[in-house]
Formats: sequence, structure tokens, C-alpha cells
Amino acid sequence: MTVTNAPDATGGYAVDVIERGEGHMVLSMGPQHPSTHGVLQVITEIEGEIVTKASPEIGYLHTGIEKSAENLFWSQASTVIERMDYLSPLTNALCYYLAVEKLLGIDDQIPPRANQIRVLLSELSRIASHCVWLGTGGIDLGALTGFFYCFDLRERILDLFEMSGGARMHPNYIRVGGLGQDLPEGFLAKLDGVIDMYEPRMRDVRRLLQKNPILQDRMIDVGIISADEAVAWSLTGPTLRATGIQYDVRRAFPYSGYDQYEFDVITRTEGDAYARFLVRLDEMDEAMRIIRQVRKQLDTPGAWQIPDTKFAPPPKETIALSMEALIHHFKLVSESFRVPPGDIYQAVEGPRGELGYYVVSNGDNRPWRVRTRPPSLYNLQVLKKIAIGELIADMVVMIGSLDPVFGEVDR
Amino acid sequence: MPSSQAPPAGATAVDPTAVRPDIADARILRVTPAALRAALEDLKRDGFSMLLDVGGVDYLEREPRYDIAYHLLRLPTQAASAGQIGQPERVRVLCGVPGDATTVPTVVDLWPSADWAEREIFDLYGITFEGHPDLRRIQMPDDWEGHPLRKDYPLRGVARERTPRPSFALKSNVAAGTPASGRTAAGLQKQIAEVRARADGHAAPNPLQAKDGKQP
Amino acid sequence: MALGNSGADFLLTTVDSVARWAQASSVWPLTMGLACCAIEMMTATAPEYDIARLGSEVFRASPRQADLMIVSGRVARKMAPIVKRLYDQMADPKWVISMGACASSGGVFDNYAIVQGVDTIIPVDVYVPGCPPTPDGLLYAVNLIQQQIKRGGRGGILARA
Repeated sequence: MTVTNAPDATGGYAVDVIERGEGHMVLSMGPQHPSTHGVLQVITEIEGEIVTKASPEIGYLHTGIEKSAENLFWSQASTVIERMDYLSPLTNALCYYLAVEKLLGIDDQIPPRANQIRVLLSELSRIASHCVWLGTGGIDLGALTGFFYCFDLRERILDLFEMSGGARMHPNYIRVGGLGQDLPEGFLAKLDGVIDMYEPRMRDVRRLLQKNPILQDRMIDVGIISADEAVAWSLTGPTLRATGIQYDVRRAFPYSGYDQYEFDVITRTEGDAYARFLVRLDEMDEAMRIIRQVRKQLDTPGAWQIPDTKFAPPPKETIALSMEALIHHFKLVSESFRVPPGDIYQAVEGPRGELGYYVVSNGDNRPWRVRTRPPSLYNLQVLKKIAIGELIADMVVMIGSLDPVFGEVDR
Repeated sequence: MPSSQAPPAGATAVDPTAVRPDIADARILRVTPAALRAALEDLKRDGFSMLLDVGGVDYLEREPRYDIAYHLLRLPTQAASAGQIGQPERVRVLCGVPGDATTVPTVVDLWPSADWAEREIFDLYGITFEGHPDLRRIQMPDDWEGHPLRKDYPLRGVARERTPRPSFALKSNVAAGTPASGRTAAGLQKQIAEVRARADGHAAPNPLQAKDGKQP
Repeated sequence: MALGNSGADFLLTTVDSVARWAQASSVWPLTMGLACCAIEMMTATAPEYDIARLGSEVFRASPRQADLMIVSGRVARKMAPIVKRLYDQMADPKWVISMGACASSGGVFDNYAIVQGVDTIIPVDVYVPGCPPTPDGLLYAVNLIQQQIKRGGRGGILARA
């Protein structure tokens, strides 16, 4: 009995049922599938309903982002890098720019307000990303109402991104040295609206899903990962914290002023899909806790970008008045700044886990290499291990609980 | 517009890892492929239980040509009561791989998570990992030729590189031998003034004869 | 219809227009979500934009049951044969919306990995610009498909492509 993933007669790569005998079957789940959360192909071998082997095949969304980034200016590369983890784009941009700022040596000059807004947007992205996870995870199990509730909350957050950065997804609002512009008028009022809306909405969602006996039946004791396995398989994020290990990059290697905010690192010990579900729900609450603390700080105005115009563009009003501002603006747009040679690994806590960038500069105005440490790739890889012995119907639950984003897995 | 065809904007370093600034992001170790496994086993025994990532870099003009970066993490130690969490630590092991001998031992037996990461380096750089159970392409289709992330692989792929775009940026579309058009800046100013005057409803004063004072 | 009998002509064109009205009012898309545009496509089914009020009540996972393929996201070279196979598996009449810059032309990614426009492999009826387009854009595209169906071309009682 052989399983191959070579192209078939029509040039397709999907492997359909190719051999059946004695209740043993090979099934190709994907790459087009309503519940694989993207373009994933899992070649599953099943005995009756029990999975004996699962090999996920990825690469169906390989975009060459890292190669594209090597051919764009430092400030342009963030546009393609944002499109990796497309559920929380600002997190990617933040991590990349933190790395670049460290190589430039300006990481200690970022003004406090810029850091506060960066933290605010990161936590809003976390909530928005978990809303998608929760909604689509519910749909996989048949719970459609939760999807509508979660996406409505997400809409209000996307409104905030559109106000500040100009686009709902991929706003490219975080730039070198700070932000693209200050928060517009009316942003804080809208943010207050989101903060007020959050608690009653999440109460409703929890009432719908958390104690739902069908959801509990489908998620408890499915896809159990032990703490040692989690470390061996390089899991990070809620998948790791649901096994009991308390590792959160915001606590371990604080960035952008996260050490001044109070928040708990949520952990559970069961390690099953339900534990991961609860960890993410509680993480949304912790994110809102951080947002409330940041909101108080945002009332004081301040600088939102470093004053050094060799890296960050000067304010538009000064370009017509100051020759130096005009020259700096021209230089930045036509040939960008140059980053001194060196390599650095910078990580942030994304919604899926430790998102890291290993950025190498050779002194040019373009990155030499941007290697992503994709949390979803490692989180998804453990599917090979945990699917064995589970029912075929649990595959969907397990993939959902690992929360992969294929823009990040395939890049 | 930057592109792989454009030369670097100024003086560049051949080996950025040798001249990096003093940033304390991780402890850095450099090893040869022969010493790689020993170094990683030592670190794992020392408590660096998590392999965060295995990534490749192509330094085209450097000898050895490639670097494989292993990012390891020592997790904060668990304690019975919260508040006694130990300090986490990062290590980066850089393994230089020469361009003509691209084989490196695998670490899949030490950390199973290295499986896909090593397959990706094989796919995109062409570096083989001895002892890997299933070394085949992961991102590119199985019948793809070439290793895309190498610096000598064109950005737009081999097939499309024969038709570079945008062609209008690279050449002039004025055929050789075309005589000068005879337009001057002054003539253009005059034309603008005429058009504006026509829009205002009276004859334009000729800016070149502004001091004339005569009404046409 | 060369029947010579104006009564029969009237009957058939009326039936045809009724069939077209039915098809336009229930365009069921295929779940062809690839990347970021897929999230905006999902948002178009969410309450704020609600594609169901245009007739796209359900998104079918099986191409046999879908009328409309919304190619939402960047089409990688590895995925291209699968997109083509799914298009071939859809039953006539079928329509295609190319959603977003990547599906329409390759978008930001002019490189080795991305198909520069899904119309190089399947015929497209409506292109939606944006990166990603707002769900409003997608709703307008579905409106345009509905107009195309009602105006002529594919569809109706003779449902061959």
C-alpha cells in the first residue's frame, strides 16, 4: 500500500482515495476544505474511523514573501511581511520593526506614546484574531451563532484599524521609529465604545459556547499534548500554555513597554482542545485588561515618532518650509535608510505563539534576509503526533484548536 | 525601485555576523557542520530544551556560503509558587555550510520539530540533512527545479526572468535620430498664460513682453 | 429560438428570464478561500455586510453544488492545478469572481511563487480590486454577477457555458 504525493495525470497534487481494503483507507483532506482553516492538505490513513497516520502537506500558499522582502526597501518590506499572519497583521509589522530598530540602534528612543499605541494595536489584533479563531472553530462544530457574534466584535476593531492606519487589514500603520501618524480625532471615543461592548459580548459568547455540552463533548480529551511533548515539538502560545508551561514572550522578553502593564499569563494543565479553547478565551480577557490600562495612558498627548528624520519621515507640514526636511523626505522615499550590518533575532507574542524574525542586514538599504520563525508552522506540525488514535471527526477539532494561519505556515 | 538587478546602494559587509553591533538578543555560537551535533546535544543537556527555529541564510560572497541558524530557548523554570519563575535565555548556533559541500547532520532525533524546518531549508536552499527520515520539498511543488531562496535564483523565477518588467523603466522609447521638439520652458510658460487668459476671457499678456504695456 | 410561432417564443423567453431570475437570486459560492481575502469573504457573510441577503445563503464546499467560485487570495503555483481542477468540477453555468489584487494580477507578489492573475488559468467574470477589498467590494461584485446573469450570456434555461 503506497501513498504518494506526486502529480497525477491531470497535474493535480490532491491525492484522493487511492486504496481501500480491510477497512483501511487513505483519505486526502484538502487542500480545499471548509474546515482546514486555509489551504492545508492532510493525507490521513484511517482504519474505520480511527486515524492511524496523518501527514499534513503544506506549501499551497507559498508566496515567496521572504524573497520579496529581500528586494524591497526596509520600509517597503513590511508591506509584504504584514501579509504573512493575515489575521493579526500589525503584530508581524511590529516584530519586524522592533528588529530593524534594534539594528539601527534607535530602540531606546521610541517615544512612550508610540509604544503605548503599538501595545494597544497588538492587543486589539490579538482579540480580533481570536474572534476569527472562535467564530470559525465554532462553525467547524456547527455553532453558527458564535461566528456572527465574534465577527461583529471584530468589525468594531477593524473600524479602529481603518481609522488609524487607513485599511481594515494590512494598515501598515507601524513604521520605523514609531507610527505612520498620530491617532485621529474620534479614535479614543470609538475605542471606549469597543471597550464597553467587549464584556457583554464575550459574556454572550461564553454562554453560547463555553458550557455547551456538545462543544465540551467534542473538545474535551481530544488532541492531548503533554508538557514534554509540547517542548519537544516547539509549540508556543496558547497551545503551549494549555499544557502547563508558563512561557509568554511579553513576560519573558518584554518589548514596547509590556513590563509596565499588569496581566496574567493564562495556563491550564489538561493539554486538550478544550484547554486550548479556554486559554484563548481567557487571553482575550487579559488583552482587554491591557487595553484598559493603555487607554488611561493615551489621554496624555505626546510624540508618536522619533524626532530623527534620517529614519522616520518628517511631518508633512515641514516639508514645504524646511530644506532639510525636504531632503530627508526625498532620501527616505527614493532610496530609504541604510541599516548597519548585523543579524538579530527578535520575537513578540503573537496570537498564535512566539512570532520571531531573524533579520540580517549587510549594510544596504534592503534587508539581506528576513527569516520568519512562524508559530503556526510548529503548532501545526504536532498534528502528525496528536492525530494518531483520534477519530476522523476529531481532525477538524484538532486543526481548529491549533489555530494555524497558512500565510504564516507557507510564507 | 529596488530589485535584485539593482546593485547595493553603498559599501556592504560580506559577513554581517562578524561585524554585528553589540545587541544582547541571544548568546551566539559558531560551529562547523562536523561539530554541530555535539554542540546542540551539549546545549540541550544544559537546559535549552526548546528548538525555536532552524533557518537558512545565503551569504553569496562569503566562504562558507550558507549559514544555518538554530535558535534555542531555555524556558523559565517552573516553581511551586508564582513569582519564582527563572530567567529564560536564548542561544543562536550558527553553522557555516560551504557552497560546494552542502550537507549537514539532522537534528530530528533531538527535536522532532526540526522535521519541517529542515525540509524547508532543503527545498529553498538545497542543503541536504543527513539522516532526515523524509527529505523532500515542502513549499514548492515536487517537480520544481532550483532552490528559490538562493541569492543567485532570480526573484521572478527562471521562466519569467526572460521578460523583465517594467521595460519602460529600463529603456527610452524615443527612437534614435528623432530631432529635438523645439519646445522650451519659456515657450511652455507662454502657452500656459495663453490658455489661462482664454479661460478668463481676455487676451493674454505675453510674459516675455510684460514691460511693454501695449494692449494687443 | 427559430420556431416561427411567436407564442412559443414568448413562452420560452419568459421561461428563460424566470430561470435567469432564479439563478441570479441564488448564486451559491464555492469556499475557495486562500489567504487574507478569504477573511474578508468570511466577513461578507457576517452580520455587518451579510451576503445572504443577496441570495448567497450558503457557501458550498463541494464544487458540484456551487455556482460561483470566488478566488479570494493569492494563488500559489502549487495551488494552481487544484484551482483549475475545482473549476472544471463545477457544473455549468458557473461564474468566477477574482477577488483582490493577488487573484486579479499577482498583486504585491511579482515573484516565482505566485500565479500572476488567476485569469491565466480560468476565465474570470468580475475582478475586484483591493488588498484586501472591503466586503462592500465583494458584495458589489456579486451584484455585477447577478446583472450579468440577468442580462444575457451564460445562464437561463439553456445552461451550457
